Amino acid sequence: MELPGNLVKYLPLTETTAYILLALNEPLHGYAIMQKVETMSEGTVKVGAGTMYGALSTLEKEGLIVKVDEQERRKLYTLTAKGRQIVQAHIHRSAILVRNGQGL
Amino acid sequence: MKEKMKEETLISKYKWFWAWQDDKEEAWLTQMSQEGLHLKSLGFPGFYFFTPGEPANYVYRLDFVTDNKDYQNYLQLFKDAGWEHLGRMGGWQYFRTLAGEGELPEIYSDPYSKVQKYRRLLIYLTIFLPIMIVVVSRVHEAPSFYVGVQAVYAVLLGVYIFAVVKLIGRIRTLRHV
Repeated sequence: MELPGNLVKYLPLTETTAYILLALNEPLHGYAIMQKVETMSEGTVKVGAGTMYGALSTLEKEGLIVKVDEQERRKLYTLTAKGRQIVQAHIHRSAILVRNGQGL
Repeated sequence: MKEKMKEETLISKYKWFWAWQDDKEEAWLTQMSQEGLHLKSLGFPGFYFFTPGEPANYVYRLDFVTDNKDYQNYLQLFKDAGWEHLGRMGGWQYFRTLAGEGELPEIYSDPYSKVQKYRRLLIYLTIFLPIMIVVVSRVHEAPSFYVGVQAVYAVLLGVYIFAVVKLIGRIRTLRHV
């Protein structure tokens, strides 16, 4: 899983960012992402509202996610091709880490 | 701390917190709620209006945002997440929620994103930097009978530098968590 040189700077993602990107495999608004991340991570990752808002602005600015709709003052975002590529590369790295940790 | 009745239901209090004392301010508001005074709104800097009532286990959190074009989306996200917005003071946003069992509710779930909050505050403070530079460069030109004015400038500059140093310190501490 080789990532183009200009995308390498995003890795490794923080655990929170990785989960937010994974959650955005479907269009969701901020609070729905917070709930989904908590469920997906089996309660190990909780995203605060301030953290969520900041992450969405940054990820949108960097082109990893894109706004697809707005409903009642809630913006819905989804992954871009760039965001997908980055989160895939991150998951690949994490899988190697997990393999190394299994014999521990 | 002055205290006086305003109308029948609002109690106003004056208490000053500096920009780097946001956690102290949160703790004070939480304590006020435990004593039965619940923040209702904000007035001029340092003035708080409280509604008296039964003591409640509210947790208060302060955020700092200056970007206003997204403000309604920002407030909606906090509302969805269970935070009540009480008002703002400049860029400072006042939120509260009822504390349940276990962990205290937080608006920032990791030190990295909390650093961003203090960084926004620092960037905001740089607005005053040109004023401060002008003040310093002109101080020697001021006639000697303006010694009082010079003293005020000196105090302002001192507070400004102290605020910047304190905020940089806060960011460094968070980075090493």
